Amino acid sequence: MDWFDLIVVGSGPGATFAAYGARGRRILVLDVGHDAPACEELTGNAYELRGGRQDLFPSLIGERFESLRNLWKRPISLKLKSPYMSYIVRDWERMAPVAGESFEGAISLAKGGLANGWGAGVFRFTDRDLAGFPLTAAELRPYYDELTAHIGVCGANDDLAAYFERDEGLLPPLRLSSFFVELMERYERLQPLFQRERTAIGRSRLAVLTEPRDGRAAYGYGNLEFFKPHDPAIYTPAYTIDEMIRAGAIEYRSGRLVTRYRETEEGVEVHSRNLATGAEEVARGKKLLLGAGALNTARIVLESNGDYQTRLPALDNPMACIPFFRLSRIGERLAVQDTSLAQLNLVAEDAEWGEPLQASFYGTTGPLRSDILFSLPLSVRANLVWTKYVAPAMGLLMLFYPCRQSAESYVRLRPTGELEVQFAPEPPHAAERRLIRLLRKMGYVTSAAFIQRPGSGAGLHYAGTLPMRANPGRYETNAEGLLAGTARVYVVDGACFSRLPAKNLTFTIMANALRIGRRIGGLS
Amino acid sequence: MAERTPSLAEEARHLHACLFRTPLEAIAIARYEAANRELGVAASAVVTKVVARRLDAEAVELALRRRGSGGDLARRMQILCYLVEVRRDYLSEFINLESARGRAWAALAGAVLRSAWKRVKGEYLVRRHGLV
Repeated sequence: MDWFDLIVVGSGPGATFAAYGARGRRILVLDVGHDAPACEELTGNAYELRGGRQDLFPSLIGERFESLRNLWKRPISLKLKSPYMSYIVRDWERMAPVAGESFEGAISLAKGGLANGWGAGVFRFTDRDLAGFPLTAAELRPYYDELTAHIGVCGANDDLAAYFERDEGLLPPLRLSSFFVELMERYERLQPLFQRERTAIGRSRLAVLTEPRDGRAAYGYGNLEFFKPHDPAIYTPAYTIDEMIRAGAIEYRSGRLVTRYRETEEGVEVHSRNLATGAEEVARGKKLLLGAGALNTARIVLESNGDYQTRLPALDNPMACIPFFRLSRIGERLAVQDTSLAQLNLVAEDAEWGEPLQASFYGTTGPLRSDILFSLPLSVRANLVWTKYVAPAMGLLMLFYPCRQSAESYVRLRPTGELEVQFAPEPPHAAERRLIRLLRKMGYVTSAAFIQRPGSGAGLHYAGTLPMRANPGRYETNAEGLLAGTARVYVVDGACFSRLPAKNLTFTIMANALRIGRRIGGLS
Repeated sequence: MAERTPSLAEEARHLHACLFRTPLEAIAIARYEAANRELGVAASAVVTKVVARRLDAEAVELALRRRGSGGDLARRMQILCYLVEVRRDYLSEFINLESARGRAWAALAGAVLRSAWKRVKGEYLVRRHGLV
């Protein structure tokens, strides 16, 4: 019988960097691992392609009408539904089912996980962000630094450095569109006001190469993020998994859906279903590292304990999307050499929350117009005219709130195998009106009436189901990620987060997993 | 008298004609038919009436949307919008490729007036044809 030093479940940011940290040990990675399809025809710029080719139906809509998914099924992020991106969420409703019609999130079984479609936002957690974790920012810093060098992060040490921490390894920031150049100029002119309001705006830190590096090309401003996976300039953990496979650092078995584990005196048995044969397989290792994503990791732990009663906590950042407009730009030509990634970030201290809120600024060049035509208040043809002429004058401010444990937000495994997932709805907060006032002072038109609130679980920042504590109880983990009551089972993904600040958690999942992998691997 | 059920091709042509001036290409009609099959779109009495009686679908959809209904009609129109948006010939319908501020403001004002007119017309059609 084959024995491994470590068995890693999943290939998202946590699993990948736990394995990366433990390189040198004999590591088995078990993963469903749907891979990104090749799509050579989508090369260049989305709008130039649309203007140059008679038809982009196969690439943008799909022969199986993948892009129409949200019309008939539970809606998911616009970034996850196009024909070449839909592999990220393929089969999850069948293989990792979630109960609850209100759930508008998704689970990924793809190689690299949901991070294949992430916004690439890179945020270091500060000590304020880590309140409640048995960890300090200083303990994570060397891992953040190592990751920055490994994956390539662009950005600037500007007014946001106090919130994101200084980082001397940054690549130059993304080029701003003229819309956001103007916004930054207006922000600079209103610095005293923003200082009084304890609000700052600065360049986004993104896991995006703005210079070629290690054989990866620099970002090309092609607006293809909604349609094309694996732009080499935009980092995804799948790249590191592939590197480790090529280097022989891991044995990667795809097509395996891990269902449960069992601790024995010698180690851990990990049970998975071979998706090709349907047979149950058992792998054995000295230690198990669970990195299947906060929801699936919780499912595996509950199933392994035969527990269909316990409600585990669940976290996801609530969001509010605030559209805003610059009237003088109405009718401008749409800037097609642009990005649908976050161009700027905003951080606002907030008395109500007692901690900063964070927001990302986006342009409107990413999705198809048909995605939004029927959400606007006029008749369809009138909406079409409005989106055409107003889009160049429009920005979106995506405001993220922190998420704390609440009895109304939980996961529970049903005996049928479905994971019941519930996130408490977040009411509007005063911060939204404050940001609207600031946008108006900067010369933008906006209103609380325009605010859109994505549905339950739509943040896709799942965390906290098996939280890390200084003195962990049942279904909690210690600072090393060790699950209480076990001797060899570690949690390396967002499940072990004690809380969620208003920041994308992916970079911190990577750093924490790298830390845990190093310690468990014992080679640091 | 029972309403004759229009074919999907007729449906596609009529809904398209309510939104765009150009005739709908055969390839888009074929895709509309395929989308309906692939997505398992069920028959809808409202859509059947709108198409068979050649009613203004844009007006009816707005009136129904304001009543919190009409999802079947809206989804069919949205399918058509998706199918044509990815065609080169429609790029300028959806995306502003030339700076044209004066024209844009005029078009926006026209769109608001059009929408107001469509709402009045839609209310009349919905009542006249018993679409709720």
